[in-house]
Amino acid sequence: MNQEPYKVWECQVCGFVYDEALGWPEEDIAPGTRWEDIPDDWSCPDCGAAKADFAMAETSRV
Amino acid sequence: MSEPGADLTDLTDRADHTVIVGTGIAGTTAALTLRKEGYQGRITLVGAEAETPYRRPPLSKDVLRGTMKSERIRLKPDGFWAAQAIELRTGSTVTAIDTDASTVTLADGTGLDYRKLVLATGSRPRGLPQAAGVPGVHYLRSLHSATALASALAGRGPVVVIGGGLVGLEVAASARALGCAVSVLEAADRPMSRVLPAWLADPLTALHQDRGVEIHTGVSVARIERHTHGKLSVTAADGRVWPASVVVASVGTVPETALAEAAGLPVANGANGVNSANGIVVDEYGRTPVPGVFAAGDAANVPDLLHGGRRRGEHWNEAMEQGAAVAKTIVGDPTPYPLLPWSWSDQHGVTIQVCGRPEVATEHEVHGAPESRDASVVFRLGGKVVAVVAMNRPTEFRTLRQLALAAQH
Repeated sequence: MNQEPYKVWECQVCGFVYDEALGWPEEDIAPGTRWEDIPDDWSCPDCGAAKADFAMAETSRV
Repeated sequence: MSEPGADLTDLTDRADHTVIVGTGIAGTTAALTLRKEGYQGRITLVGAEAETPYRRPPLSKDVLRGTMKSERIRLKPDGFWAAQAIELRTGSTVTAIDTDASTVTLADGTGLDYRKLVLATGSRPRGLPQAAGVPGVHYLRSLHSATALASALAGRGPVVVIGGGLVGLEVAASARALGCAVSVLEAADRPMSRVLPAWLADPLTALHQDRGVEIHTGVSVARIERHTHGKLSVTAADGRVWPASVVVASVGTVPETALAEAAGLPVANGANGVNSANGIVVDEYGRTPVPGVFAAGDAANVPDLLHGGRRRGEHWNEAMEQGAAVAKTIVGDPTPYPLLPWSWSDQHGVTIQVCGRPEVATEHEVHGAPESRDASVVFRLGGKVVAVVAMNRPTEFRTLRQLALAAQH
């Protein structure tokens, strides 16, 4: 079991936030899904940018 | 990029100074890219808006619907700008530019000497003459205006949106999601006529109608009136009347060029509504004819290297790409503005992405089912890809966009 705290990733194109704790149920990504477990061809649900266009948010989870 | 904690005393070239006017995405991206590229001079980022830099795209969507926490709209956390040695002057209006003396003057009288000046002054919503002097007609541009509109929508009264472009339709979708009765009044014979061909726009129009948004086309607004108890009404030239609690005017943008014009920089003042013909005139690197003075983003009128003529962008991604390019040009790596700018819209949960100019194409190739809003389309002119449009296919869009870009070289 991964004990790391959940992280928040932010799309650098549009600012969409992926919160590992919440997942993204709209696309069947379960709550608790780690960033590295999301497929590389996944796209930002808001603007469509690539997974590679996301960066770990500098702020903690809010 | 400088290490967090860097400050002005770490800069190795304090004599060099870039002043950027505008804290929107073009100006902020220019500042951030300068640092990323190792620029060692001072950077001052001046903006008239009181807020620290924030994201505009959510204004018509999450901010209106109240689904975005306010800290998420900030482009960067507090303290970030200072840590990047970027001097942020919000709530500060530039009143004059002297290109001979290389100085700008701020409203409080402060003078700033610059070596490089980037005008990223953006655009403002085009005013609707029929709305002049009528209180209660909203425009959407700033966080301030979005907050005011969100409060007005909280009354859940009927909403009339004048203008069926991307922003107008996003506002309509958000207001509908809040439970308001929504009517969109469009002057042309269909919505999104500037952005998408009819056969792609129609399925989106149908989606709006399925969700209960009324769309009226060919509407020429004659007048907007305010009655007792703050109720409004919009009357068309043909006599149709729409009562409303909230009226939103969303009929395009006008570039903020007054400062450039007063400074003697060339500004195109095109016919009303013709985006190709207005804005601060620059070359493909964002350079005005005055050495050291640049323009980027919505305010800039740029050459269209693919199709000839000139154009002005009005989208987040293009402003971002221009901000990055102008910064690279400043640090000595001349980078042209994007050939195929792209943008996205979100309406009732459908992500629409557009790259290039579909309207110039002579052929197209469809993958998927546009009628059910699940498709990607490649547009060609003389065999060359000139545009890509996708609905709810972001991964495919990205691949096709990259292929289109690669095909230009």
